[in-house]
Amino acid sequence: MLRLIVVRLLAAVPVLFVVSLVSFGLTLLVPGDIAAEMAGQMASREEVDQLRAQLGLNRPPLERMVAWYGGVLQGDLGRSILLNQSVGSAILERLPVTLSLAGIALLVAALVGVPLGLLAAAKAHKWQDQAAMGTALVGLSLPDFWLGLLLIWVLAVKMQWLPSGGWVPFSDDPIGWLRSIAMPAGVLALNQMGPLARMTRSAALEVSNSDFIRTARAKGLAEPRVFARHVLAAAAVPILTVAGISFGIALGGALVIEQVFSLPGVGRLVIGAVLRRDWPVIQGGLLLTAFVFVAVNLIVDLLYLWVDPRLREQR
Amino acid sequence: MKIPSILKRRSFAAGLVLVGAVAVAAGLADWLAPFDPVKNNFRYRLGEPNHAHLLGTDRFGRDVLSRILFGARVSLRIGLLVVVASGLIGGVVGLVAGWWPKVDSWLMRVMDGLMAFPGILLAIALAVTLGPSEMTAVVALTVAFAPRTARVMRGAVLVARAQDYVEAARAVGARTGRILRRHIVPATMAPLMVQQTYIFAVAILAEAVLSFVGVGPPPPQPSLGAIIADGRDNMVEAPWIALSPGVVIAMLVLGLNLLGDGLRDALDPRMRNTVR
Repeated sequence: MLRLIVVRLLAAVPVLFVVSLVSFGLTLLVPGDIAAEMAGQMASREEVDQLRAQLGLNRPPLERMVAWYGGVLQGDLGRSILLNQSVGSAILERLPVTLSLAGIALLVAALVGVPLGLLAAAKAHKWQDQAAMGTALVGLSLPDFWLGLLLIWVLAVKMQWLPSGGWVPFSDDPIGWLRSIAMPAGVLALNQMGPLARMTRSAALEVSNSDFIRTARAKGLAEPRVFARHVLAAAAVPILTVAGISFGIALGGALVIEQVFSLPGVGRLVIGAVLRRDWPVIQGGLLLTAFVFVAVNLIVDLLYLWVDPRLREQR
Repeated sequence: MKIPSILKRRSFAAGLVLVGAVAVAAGLADWLAPFDPVKNNFRYRLGEPNHAHLLGTDRFGRDVLSRILFGARVSLRIGLLVVVASGLIGGVVGLVAGWWPKVDSWLMRVMDGLMAFPGILLAIALAVTLGPSEMTAVVALTVAFAPRTARVMRGAVLVARAQDYVEAARAVGARTGRILRRHIVPATMAPLMVQQTYIFAVAILAEAVLSFVGVGPPPPQPSLGAIIADGRDNMVEAPWIALSPGVVIAMLVLGLNLLGDGLRDALDPRMRNTVR
């Protein structure tokens, strides 16, 4: 068991290495003078030179890379030029907004999507199945940022039920927090519900032909209980896999939806940095979001062991 | 796979209608568009939809319908190029990884690394790195999505190489090149086609996001995401600007997903379990 965990952790190392290589390498691909572009057209020669020195761009790429890795390994992602703040703390103070958004979206998506998929499997090829799968497909096909605007128009502008944007911390006002997160999390949940419902359906259909399900039915278990207890347990691994992938997509979605609802998260920070060419923030944002994704998928890997005792025996 | 039999599948037929309608309208944009999509008309700004401007006008007085028709063309063109490029690159990487175990773990770690980024964030960062244009949007989205294709292709190669007929071909002395060309690659085409249909859908969504955040093809080039971004500032006075392009994106994406589902079920019923 412990060995298995160590093996999984070690497998993440080369992935994180590639992630860091891409995050750093991005700046090498920029055509033209990064410092001049960042400083803007109004900057004097001295200001550009100063910025270049500050970014370390006057040193050769290999030296810059060594310095960057040295910093990253000590938890130092460099300084944001625009915010004049360390990149690490700028991202970390915004991370709770993004993570709670993606996390709640995924939770809602799972609470709706998994039962929807089970229903579709139980009523396979009947109208309930087609209605459920149609809903799932439409949900995953709607552009999230557009749906966000549509909701703002209907629920905030026309009905005035919910605020059109902004963030209320949970600790300040739980109701206000719920009102501020309802629309963006709802949009993301609708997107993520689709893949989860589809995977749950196909995994459940696969399982429902197996002998132990027939036995469960033969001994007279009621159909809802067969599905809730036996089918769901056996289908849990593929569902978890999709949930792990969905989290990554929800994270990307959260970054974008933050723009629409003016939420002070990592997405606002990083996409703002992209538009103003604040490279240390772009690099740090890429690195940290990928790191979160790898960490979540490690947790998913360990959850496999919890939901499926068979996997504990292997290796 | 006979053509008529696949058309009998409702999801495929519905997808074909949705995508076909948008594709034809976009293809005929030069004739269908009632106005020049980049021509300003300051006498009719933020104009409500009427019989001349069926979907109204934006804040420069440009006809929204005309912009959507030309914008859909940009979205389809970028999506199609991403499908081809990611299919070629991901296909070759997956083939090599699936066939030669020695390079497999190396190649797939690189793919895993690329897939660890939120795809859309990687694409946004790449697009701005290379300087926003239609071509860099294609490159950025290809880098973001080719790893998914590579993973599907690798899986398909692993399945194909375990078949008896591959063993038989090797036994009679066929060279690697011939086995790959004659036996492995044809067997991977079905899953690859299904995957690329889904990539088409994802690429159109992602291109819209690139344009929406402002790193897509630069203005005044109309693009569906950019029209939505334009309309966002006038959401209260002129909601039609932002709302109508989204319907077109949704039609395309839903249609492509339906096409993918239909293809998947028609080509190989066992593939119903594959994760995208």
